[in-house]
Amino acid sequence: MLQPQLISFLIEPDHSDKAVSLFPVLPVGKHEGICFGEEGAEDSDASPFPFVPQTFRLSKEDELFEDGDIQRHLYLQDAEADYASDVDRPKISEFKCHIAGCCQLFDSLEEYEHHYNSLHRNVCSHCKRSFPSAHLLDIHLSEWHDSLFQILSEKQLMYQCLVEGCAVKFKTYNDRKDHLIKVHSYPADFRFGKPNKSKSKNRGKTPVQREAPMELSEPDQAQTSELMILEPMETSTHETNIITSTTEKRTLQMEQNKPHYSYKVPTTICFGKGSVRGFHGRKKK
Amino acid sequence: MWRLECVPHKLQRQCSSSLEDFKHKRREYEKALRKARKDQQLISKRLIRDILEQEEVSGNSESLSKEQADELFQRIHHSGAEKVIALRSVRKALRQKEAQQVFVRLNSFVHVLVGVFSGSNAACQLEAAYCLLELSQSDEASIALACLPATPYLLTFLSGQSPKFTELCLNILGNLAAEKQAVRKQLLAQGVIPSLALCLQSPHVAVVEAAGYALSQLLQGKESSEATVRAVLESSLPSHLLRLLEGTSTSGIGTMIECAWCLHYLVCSNVDNGLLMAQGAAAKCSSLLLELGGVVLKDPAIPQGLQLLISPLLRCLGNLSASHGQECRAYLKDGRILVALCAFVCHFFQQYSFMARESLWVLNNLTAEDAELCSTCIHLNLISVLIYYLPFAKGINVMVLRLLCNIAEKGPEYCKKINQQEVLQAVCATLIMADPEVVQLSLELLWMIVSSSCQVSSSLINKEGLSALEALQYNKDKEIRVRAAYILDHIFKPVSPCI
Repeated sequence: MLQPQLISFLIEPDHSDKAVSLFPVLPVGKHEGICFGEEGAEDSDASPFPFVPQTFRLSKEDELFEDGDIQRHLYLQDAEADYASDVDRPKISEFKCHIAGCCQLFDSLEEYEHHYNSLHRNVCSHCKRSFPSAHLLDIHLSEWHDSLFQILSEKQLMYQCLVEGCAVKFKTYNDRKDHLIKVHSYPADFRFGKPNKSKSKNRGKTPVQREAPMELSEPDQAQTSELMILEPMETSTHETNIITSTTEKRTLQMEQNKPHYSYKVPTTICFGKGSVRGFHGRKKK
Repeated sequence: MWRLECVPHKLQRQCSSSLEDFKHKRREYEKALRKARKDQQLISKRLIRDILEQEEVSGNSESLSKEQADELFQRIHHSGAEKVIALRSVRKALRQKEAQQVFVRLNSFVHVLVGVFSGSNAACQLEAAYCLLELSQSDEASIALACLPATPYLLTFLSGQSPKFTELCLNILGNLAAEKQAVRKQLLAQGVIPSLALCLQSPHVAVVEAAGYALSQLLQGKESSEATVRAVLESSLPSHLLRLLEGTSTSGIGTMIECAWCLHYLVCSNVDNGLLMAQGAAAKCSSLLLELGGVVLKDPAIPQGLQLLISPLLRCLGNLSASHGQECRAYLKDGRILVALCAFVCHFFQQYSFMARESLWVLNNLTAEDAELCSTCIHLNLISVLIYYLPFAKGINVMVLRLLCNIAEKGPEYCKKINQQEVLQAVCATLIMADPEVVQLSLELLWMIVSSSCQVSSSLINKEGLSALEALQYNKDKEIRVRAAYILDHIFKPVSPCI
């Protein structure tokens, strides 16, 4: 993997041009204070970065020498050829979600990014639910956390279509749901509901299903419909869902809201071929 | 002579068991070795058997009874040809661990054996030496140490005339020295050092190699005392070791391996590295590493086991550059050493990643306090080689990050050059790794690069990097949170015009 010129640099017999002194030495200088003017200079006293280059003297027993010592042992025992193969293979570092309380581990950057973008990126600061996109988060914020929304929705069309680019608005969430099914070909069993940490802000749900399309929580039978504004007829399994006034509903839902992160992805959502359905990448150290 | 080429692959003898079984046993064995090392109980003895002997061992599964052992033992008391034949039978029997136990417990067996060993019959002496070798190779301390009464004779015979016999004695001594500190002290008192010095000057390659082995065992023991190391340093042994570490020497790779490990144990002990420096240890290690770097790059079919020679040399150079940095680097004013070290990283990475780790450690020690070598790294474009290894765990990415931080720390000019190699992109990925040390070093490097540039530093960091920094603000480790926030604050702060 070394470039050819480096290989010939090492191999060529003529060493006269290899002396380090022949390479220009870049000027050594200070870092902070250069970019940030005087302010920066003051800041540099308080810089929380303690790195100082250091040399390491290692003793015979140091962990860094372990694999080499094992090889030495095998060599002396004439066993090296037998044991060479899978003793010391390189291993890719695991990635970790650093959000406190999350701490999941991932084998690849893609898995981590998928996790982060799905769970932590578009998070409602009020109720801590996360959404798969900024667009849905915006809609959620306006419909759930804007006190004017319910008032205005009595007079005008306030429920936006969830599909980005579609500017149509509706009087009720069921109208929107119908629109999504009829016009945008969403499946009738698409999870329009939105329980605690749901992704989608769709309200309403089909009676027998669990709540929340794209929710980020494990649907808990007892509490799924807490945050759902439901049509009275749809509350067969969830008595707590029978809420007549929207404000009451909202209050009840907010009270019952217990943000927590669980990571089940409903079957109706597909994140592309080969992606995991749930977050099976979860590993404990 | 390259011993590894002569030994048949043990896998062939075990073809009756399944591959899975074999792999499982191998893994278990490796785990046991690692545990032993952690407990400082790893005793690495040379196991020497020729091909025919190994086949005989595997074929013979019957254990020897006390009566049978006694019978064989009695036959040793006879004279003439029968004695030699009896000794040969005993030697064969001693290859079995259980038989070793039986014989050693026989009344005066060892005493008689030592008597034969120190006797005047050369053929019997040789056979007795083989018996002692079998006992000394045992991993049961009680069995190996049964040979202790033979040590004064072993040492005396080192100045003898028979190379084969001398080689045997050296191997026995090495195996005994590996056992415990008391043995090593005894050997020192009995004059092992001058004897070894003599053997290292032998014209016979096998003798020199065995002497190197014996010395390595004297030095590497768990409690190898300062006194032992000092005694060795004050003798002519170091100069012989350095003389033998010559790429063009005829002593063979086996010898060079033993000498390199001896040197490593001497340097590691840190008793008097100045003395070793004065004798040219750093110069010798670096010139040999340069040669080996060339071998590794030039020749696809390098001898199997070259890593066993390169590793101790790396360790010597690494530790000498830590204890005598400036002096050491004065010998290294040849840009090729940096290339050689990178060559080892690249070449051995897949199969022996410990070699990559050790090479990177040496690179860290060389670049920590030397702007010249850092500049050379940049000019030789070694940074783009090193970035490739950032994803890899087991200490690899930590060392690469340290190396990059060493270079970046030298100043903004260095940071600019690093940044031209698209290091930032790679570092944005390391920010989200699980190892906290990797995260800490990534933040350090990021800060140095970001704070060195007068351009809008936020543009230096891609979207993934920014989201990684944002995520780090919620990390459970306070230091990490503070540093991530500090970087974010500064990159989004309005910048005053640069002077």
